[in-house]
Amino acid sequence: MAATVVARGNVSGLENKDFEKLAIPLLDGLYNFARWLCGDPDEARDLVQETFLKSLKGFSSFREGTNFRAWMFRILRNTFLTSRTGLERRNTQQEDKEGFEESSVSQDSPEIALIRRANTELVQAAIAQLAPAFQEVILLADLEEMKYQEIAEALDIPIGTVMSRLARARKQVREHIVLTLGGRRTVGVK
Amino acid sequence: MTNCEWREKIGLYVDGELEPREEQGIASHLQSCANCSAAVLEQQALKKAVRVAGKRFTAPPELYASVHRQMQPKKSTGLWLKASALAASAVLLAIVAFAWISRPSASNATVAQLIDQHVTMLASANPVDVVSSDKHTVKPWFQGKLPFTFNPPELAKDSPFTLIGGKLIYAQQAPGAELVYLVRQHKLSVFIFQARDVHGQVSGTNLAFTVNGWQQGGLRYYIVTDASREDADRLRELLQDANR
Repeated sequence: MAATVVARGNVSGLENKDFEKLAIPLLDGLYNFARWLCGDPDEARDLVQETFLKSLKGFSSFREGTNFRAWMFRILRNTFLTSRTGLERRNTQQEDKEGFEESSVSQDSPEIALIRRANTELVQAAIAQLAPAFQEVILLADLEEMKYQEIAEALDIPIGTVMSRLARARKQVREHIVLTLGGRRTVGVK
Repeated sequence: MTNCEWREKIGLYVDGELEPREEQGIASHLQSCANCSAAVLEQQALKKAVRVAGKRFTAPPELYASVHRQMQPKKSTGLWLKASALAASAVLLAIVAFAWISRPSASNATVAQLIDQHVTMLASANPVDVVSSDKHTVKPWFQGKLPFTFNPPELAKDSPFTLIGGKLIYAQQAPGAELVYLVRQHKLSVFIFQARDVHGQVSGTNLAFTVNGWQQGGLRYYIVTDASREDADRLRELLQDANR
């Protein structure tokens, strides 16, 4: 989804209308992301509602030319991080190495077949076992199909960190799948 | 395992993050390097698997509804509401007095009823039952509630009119739709009934309200507003065009 430029009106009603048009199409994606973050439907619902409330209030200060989708996801994530669950998860979050780690693909890869064989539940389990920092980046990249720059804006991290986390997240998902389906085969060895 | 110069770029390539020149370079390289091709295929398979599995949850309908409610402008509360409630009470009083003094004809009775409805809407804290500026939300809301259908106009981006929402109403014991629009600070009620149910095709000014009525496609439309006659005419044209 391309960045959306918002024209700001003088009348508050028109601003709300603009906001509604831009924000409602994002609701499903925001809720899905919130569910992954929170793990609880009620908490996710509250998180999305609070996100909409905050973003509506802040819409008048929304800078034209800013990526609206990244802005909304950023508000949701910041709101989550200040919630009880968010604080708990942040305290247990794994440290990740900075710097772009090369995607660790086995070159002669029957893993392709294993990945293709993986059912949805297995991949969901693989995503669920990721540390929150990796989980959010892989969801924004592969599910929301955000560009690295958008992800960097949404998560407020440098683009290099996006690439690093994404590579590690994919490596871990892949390992989970391959180890589950393929037994003891070594994966990701370079 | 080979150590291609492109090896590090495979993730960027799969994510569409390379410059066009680099992208062409790696695409050519893939023609001759089986290892990198396999790596690309694997990354693509993994990306697809995550996309499918990641879309796990769908927002429940009640979340959509509560978010819609959150987004409605709050300007109807506070001083404005109090002032409008006072004004509406005064107008209601005038209407009641008018009803006592005059014995209205069938047409006038319809108009008086619709003005009542409009004034009640103005004074209400919940002026509409379906709250949305999107006609594709408002129109379906009436499905199953009315024995007819209609098309709210598609409003251009620069249109002075804003759709606020709609509600189900009754006049002369017949069900109808009330759509509420905003033009500048004035609200306009558009009432729609089956023509056979409601009588009285009146246009003009009544108790200083502009009333604009017409019949089209078996339906009878009335616009009631304190906005200018020109605004009512403009909205009528939009409705007529949308329902041709």
